[in-house]
Amino acid sequence: MSHLLELEGVSKSFGGVHAVVDVDFHADPGEIVGVIGPNGAGKTTLFNVVTGFYSPDAGSMTFDGHNISGLKPNALTRLGMARTFQAVRLFDNMTVIENAMVGRHTRTSAGVWGALSHNKKTVQEEQDITREATRALSFFGNRLVGRENELASDLAYADRRRLEIARAMVTGPKLLLLDEPAAGMNPAEKDGLIEQIGRLRDERGYSIVLIEHDMPVIKSVSDRVVALDHGEKIAEGTYDEVASNPQVIEAYLGKAAAAKETSL
Amino acid sequence: MSRLPRWARVGLLGGFIVIYLGAVGMLESFSARPIVTGVIQFSVVLIAVVYMSSGYLAARPGKDELESNPRRSAPLAGVVAGALVGVFVIAMTLLAEAGYNPRDMFIAINPALLDILTFGQSIWAGLVIEVVLGGVLGLAASYLYTSSPNTRSIVVTTLTTVVMVALAAPLFTVMFDGLGIPDSWLFQREGLTVIGAIVVATATAFLKWYLLKTGGARKAMLQVPKVTEKNINLTLWLAAGVVLTVLPWIVNTFISDVLGTVGLYILLGLGLNIVVGYAGLLDLGYVAFFAVGAYSIAVLTANTSFLVGGTVNAPAAEGFMNFWVALPITIVIAVIIGVLIGAPVLRLRGDYLAIVTLGFGEIIRTLVLSDWLKPYLGGPQGITQIPPPPLGPLNTRDPRILYYLILAFVVISFFIATRLKYSRVGRAWAAMREDEDVAEGMGISVVLYKILAFVMGAAVGCLGGAFFATKLSVANPGSFTLLVSINVLAVVVLGGMGSIPGVIVGSLVLVGLPELLREFGEFRLHIYGIILVAIMLLKPEGLIPDARRARELHHEDEEPITDVAHVAIAGGHE
Repeated sequence: MSHLLELEGVSKSFGGVHAVVDVDFHADPGEIVGVIGPNGAGKTTLFNVVTGFYSPDAGSMTFDGHNISGLKPNALTRLGMARTFQAVRLFDNMTVIENAMVGRHTRTSAGVWGALSHNKKTVQEEQDITREATRALSFFGNRLVGRENELASDLAYADRRRLEIARAMVTGPKLLLLDEPAAGMNPAEKDGLIEQIGRLRDERGYSIVLIEHDMPVIKSVSDRVVALDHGEKIAEGTYDEVASNPQVIEAYLGKAAAAKETSL
Repeated sequence: MSRLPRWARVGLLGGFIVIYLGAVGMLESFSARPIVTGVIQFSVVLIAVVYMSSGYLAARPGKDELESNPRRSAPLAGVVAGALVGVFVIAMTLLAEAGYNPRDMFIAINPALLDILTFGQSIWAGLVIEVVLGGVLGLAASYLYTSSPNTRSIVVTTLTTVVMVALAAPLFTVMFDGLGIPDSWLFQREGLTVIGAIVVATATAFLKWYLLKTGGARKAMLQVPKVTEKNINLTLWLAAGVVLTVLPWIVNTFISDVLGTVGLYILLGLGLNIVVGYAGLLDLGYVAFFAVGAYSIAVLTANTSFLVGGTVNAPAAEGFMNFWVALPITIVIAVIIGVLIGAPVLRLRGDYLAIVTLGFGEIIRTLVLSDWLKPYLGGPQGITQIPPPPLGPLNTRDPRILYYLILAFVVISFFIATRLKYSRVGRAWAAMREDEDVAEGMGISVVLYKILAFVMGAAVGCLGGAFFATKLSVANPGSFTLLVSINVLAVVVLGGMGSIPGVIVGSLVLVGLPELLREFGEFRLHIYGIILVAIMLLKPEGLIPDARRARELHHEDEEPITDVAHVAIAGGHE
């Protein structure tokens, strides 16, 4: 059985800083993998390496049977990878629906000639794009539906996070990488997010890798949890296994506190 | 300065502005332009505007004040401004009498200016007049400040319209003559008659009042039965079409010529708008494409071109090829240059991109000037005797015919720009402009779309160059300076980045107006500066800001979602 995403011995350094060190990582079809670790553990760097924003210094990466080392982000999106960003990054001066429509870019092909001639294929394609985008927006109930023509910058914070996920959905991904999707959300919104992440897998069939600091969210959604510290993978397993791992507790609480914790 | 009360500061500033306008020669130059013939000149209007603005600003409370006393501070500001101007006149006169002539440094500070500022009286009487004038106008400004927004809007619109109509009097006179309408009751010697001014003011005030009452022209029209939004748009397009078609025949050839120049700038603006407005790539070397278009047409069609072995003194019998065959080749050449310029700057962003493109613009100019290319491009002399585009029996040297040709290409470019903007390509550009990294993360090839933006910009912009060359029948390096790049960029920014109507309005304002109002021509750069600063302060998004087009959406399930269902679906509420 081959993994959907598989990393072997991946490393990435910036000058003397070893952000990711010899990490093995995988995600299977239909799996939700949580990535945890203290600030600066290398979680986002790992995401950036996987999605092609950084190229790895060492190691091999395969996705859906393709060797993806050194591929650019746009090529990876085409292969079926989509992501969101830690600090929400929408196209602020475009409308909500346009933001989502951009996501369809790799699944469509109309070029300058199509734009100028409005031939049958292009018109059909534009309709498909709009339908896909609308479908993704309606995933979030009426939070985004009805606000399609508002500027993305006018949305409330949680809706901006939702739109970012919708935009990623429109790309038609196999694997969705969410970078701290619950950051800045209130408890009710977090509950909604947990339910939505489940539905993303069950209804849409996505595999999901998410970075999250919020442990209840990680606990509720993850099939498997990977913990990173100082760029290295320090633990892997179910939430309970990882949460009780002494190395993980040490990474979060510090050595002395961890010793105290275990002695209790 | 901050120790002085606000009215004093604003007043001094107003006074300085009037003195500045005088010192650079604007007042003297504008005093030749009547607004209401025999009653008031444009220079006086300008002074009055400054005094009133001072009063208005003084009436408004400052940053650290909660309220002000408009009736007191506004006239005081006017008085201060007037006094400063009056004292300036006296000081200059005394200086001149003492043997220090201010004209040695400021050529415009001459008796004619002092005459304007004293209204032809003695310098001491002039001081009194300026002070009284400032006080009265300041008081008027305070009433304007305290009046209701509607009243204010009507008064300001009315006064502005009267001045605008008067300034455009030569244009209107030509048009009325062309249409055969008698206009001597309205206009007299480049200005309005007294009756004309009253008619224009009354009409404008009534119209503005009516529109304010009904909530805008569009809304007023929609109240008429059977008028829909679509009908209004159709009517507007038809009206624009008719006006543009008959325009050259009701104005004279000079104005047709000016319109042709405006058209060229619209072509350039639409092209640059693709690069800067859509894709967000700040290109300061856009003149390169303008030059490429002009020189390509010149080399391909002129009978002095090296391709046919002709020289300026011994031209060949005819050019290498026909304009219409050369035009597609020109576009291809521009596209190639677009790729050549686009490719090396792909990794650059923002300021760095601007500086490098600036360099490319200069490289092209230096190349056409060079001795190396002199045998082919003519060096500083350029290429002359470029024939007009052949168009059946029509004489395309006639500015009116050329106007139609340029108009046709403007319409085509308008169409291309619009279609591109609201397409998959346009969305990719917009995404790239908003956030390059995320755009790439969403699957957009930034490399491809950057080059595509340069290519499309080059293709549209080179049309401007091609028509420029045939219009002037010369292409020489003097026409392709950095100033062209700046002017085109100013057109795009003034109109509103990414906005297509904005480009048209920008070209009319920045290229058309200075050509038509010859007094302004001399102060074009001054006015450029003032307009650009004012726009950036008051309307940073441009005159006609780019509005994202609203989409008609059809939801698949139109069932109303109840609040309970919403909670279940969205899984949360705020």
